[in-house]
Amino acid sequence: MSGDTVSGDTEEFDPIGTLTLIGIYFVILVLSWVYIYYIEFLGRDLVVVG
Amino acid sequence: MHIHAYEKIWLAVSVLLILFLIGSVTYGAVGPGVAMVSDTEPAIDSGGLDEDERFSEPRVEQVGENEYAAYVVARQFTFQPDPIVVPANSTVTFYVTSADVIHGFEVVGTNANAMVVPGEVSELTVKVEEPQEYGLICNEYCGAGHHVMEGKVNVVSQAEYEDRTSGGDGE
Repeated sequence: MSGDTVSGDTEEFDPIGTLTLIGIYFVILVLSWVYIYYIEFLGRDLVVVG
Repeated sequence: MHIHAYEKIWLAVSVLLILFLIGSVTYGAVGPGVAMVSDTEPAIDSGGLDEDERFSEPRVEQVGENEYAAYVVARQFTFQPDPIVVPANSTVTFYVTSADVIHGFEVVGTNANAMVVPGEVSELTVKVEEPQEYGLICNEYCGAGHHVMEGKVNVVSQAEYEDRTSGGDGE
């Protein structure tokens, strides 16, 4: 540990709950995007090609 | 500088997400060939559409093998021609302009959707497949009759299309 860190507390700070929550948000985000772009948008008729 | 291990994970995942989003749009452009509604058509005189060779007589015409052009005029509160009849399994380019105010051109339930601005021509190309009847609506408030402004896009079989055009009562 170098001398300029505030204290050793930062090493013990492991917000696993926050990480999990962010992970869940991330999965929702990716699934929503896949649904919106690949299924709803590209899956519809008459895709504009020019 | 100290970066927490969790933060490193989050940073890496964020970068991957951005690459995935950009990758999706790139795939859409090179795979299915998704393009923007074109604004390259030159401006025209919205008050003189009856003298315009394309829009004086709104119609669908064949412009190449399996390629058709539909010249459509939107006006309060109708689309011309109505219905717009095109043959199945072909490529259709819609050229849409307005004779009066801003309208919308939305083939219901599809990605064919554009603003129609007086003096401008919105150009959009789509591939149509099976025979089907689509609704067509105006999605920009255009006046008191906006809610009744609708048309039809009828995709008919090649044989039926030829019957209609050679029969002389096409469009």
